[in-house]
Amino acid sequence: MRDLQLSLNQTQKVRLDAALHELQTIAPASTSAAAVSVADTIPVNDEDNILKGHGTSDQDGEVVATLCGVVERVNKLVYVRTLRARYKPEVGDIIVGRVIELAPKRWRLEINFSQDAVLMLSSMNLPDGIQRRRTAVDELNMRSIFEENDVICAEVRGFQHDGSLHLQARSQKYGKLERGQLLIVPAYLVKRRKQHFHHLEQYDADLILGCNGFIWVGEHVVVGQNINIMEDKPSLSAEVENFTPLETRRHICRLGNAVRVLSALGFTLTAELIIETAEASVSSNFEINDMLGAEFYVQTAQREAKRRADLLRKKSGTM
Amino acid sequence: MSAAATTGTYSPAASAGEKRRERKEELRRHLAEDADWPRADGRSFHDCRPAFMQTGPTTAASGSAYAEFGKTKVIVSVFGPRESKKTMMYSDTGRLNCNVSYTTFATPIRGQGTDNKEYSAMLHKALEGAVMLHTFPKTTVDVFALVLESGGSDLPIIISCASLALADAGIMMYDLVTSVSVSCFGKNIIIDPTSDEEAWQDGSLMVAYMPARKEITQLTLTGEWSDGKITNAVELCMDACTKLCDILRERLKDASSLAE
Repeated sequence: MRDLQLSLNQTQKVRLDAALHELQTIAPASTSAAAVSVADTIPVNDEDNILKGHGTSDQDGEVVATLCGVVERVNKLVYVRTLRARYKPEVGDIIVGRVIELAPKRWRLEINFSQDAVLMLSSMNLPDGIQRRRTAVDELNMRSIFEENDVICAEVRGFQHDGSLHLQARSQKYGKLERGQLLIVPAYLVKRRKQHFHHLEQYDADLILGCNGFIWVGEHVVVGQNINIMEDKPSLSAEVENFTPLETRRHICRLGNAVRVLSALGFTLTAELIIETAEASVSSNFEINDMLGAEFYVQTAQREAKRRADLLRKKSGTM
Repeated sequence: MSAAATTGTYSPAASAGEKRRERKEELRRHLAEDADWPRADGRSFHDCRPAFMQTGPTTAASGSAYAEFGKTKVIVSVFGPRESKKTMMYSDTGRLNCNVSYTTFATPIRGQGTDNKEYSAMLHKALEGAVMLHTFPKTTVDVFALVLESGGSDLPIIISCASLALADAGIMMYDLVTSVSVSCFGKNIIIDPTSDEEAWQDGSLMVAYMPARKEITQLTLTGEWSDGKITNAVELCMDACTKLCDILRERLKDASSLAE
């Protein structure tokens, strides 16, 4: 929300304020009440022995917040969820990251965690797809798999005892991401779901919502096709294959701008919402570059407010 | 001929800098009398300057804050926690790296915008007690403070602003640190001095304080002080810190409700 710097005219300002106000009234009242800043006391019942989670500490028998954020309660556990902190990985998360360094037998990745993530050569499938021991030759050829500044997709494997983070890429769907856009949004806008890879058939594009707030929008890649690209045989047919049609590029840009608008407004990013926003921009005849203009922001906020209000009404109707 | 010469040449107005000289002269006169006097900006001795604080001026940083107290304007950006450089030794706890620098136009006398080593070290001392360094091993948090305009009480404002920026960055802290300084003039104690007043002070005291925990993280005492006055001054500072902390808290609440 804070990154929003728009030149709104008078009516747009009124409409945006109205939409945001509506969103605030729809939100359950408990969320705004649960906001704490550093050293605020968190009210708890003394009789039930609670568990103090992340972002809390004990002071004179009271539970005190050590972070700014929202208090979350799960049974006995009380913790503070921050809004603007770095990404906190969990095992099994699908992440998108950028290679920053090649080290012996490993790549180091920037993933918006407080430390660099490590992807070992031994914990990824080799491009030839054969299961075998990694030889010294493989080690020397690491740059042919990933280079510095490559964007790759992987899964969180676990933490070492010293707290460093290890990744794995043991499937065809993981690996280098090419021909698309990387968008970086605050990590809390991406929720953990069953599905993080989305193939948007109508756009011929892939959408990967990395749990770390790195979002990839790129041309659709058929799983297994990567192998052909890895072979160093520059032929004419490969060049034609690698060419991304203009229409697909437009779709990628449109989806990318939809993500930018939604993240600037602070809405949780789901594939459905991104597609909906992109489609809305088409149906109301917005050029791709106009999507980042004030009018589309206002419309998106209004649409989201309406959607949430409808959802609420439906819920109360069924109950 | 002479008329042409007068139009061709020019000289600065006689009154240039007059106002500042006058103010200094007045202060000196008051000091000689050792009586109460009105302060240049119309405050009483125990009034702080109005505080304006805001989070999020630097979008590229993990957290940032801007503070404006009268003429003093400070911007603090916090980066990290990010992995420590390879050359540094391994450490179980996190590192706090503080850096205070001045812009070239911060002071009336144009200088080079240099790093202020002394302030950097003092900022580090004031903050390290409040930040829970053990929560981010092997990593570094960088705190960069930039003084846009120096108008007195720079360091206390930098400290308060830095703790706001750290909270904005989502870094675990025991409490917010706020800091206030006082100057001693003869028998008088003046809170939140301006740079003119700092230039003439007999002694100064700066307190960095964690109001909710009632702990002092740093206390700096310079110059001539008599015994009883120090206690009085420390209490004055602590009370001002508590009130400043309420302002910080309000700012953080605003920011978090906006992010919802």
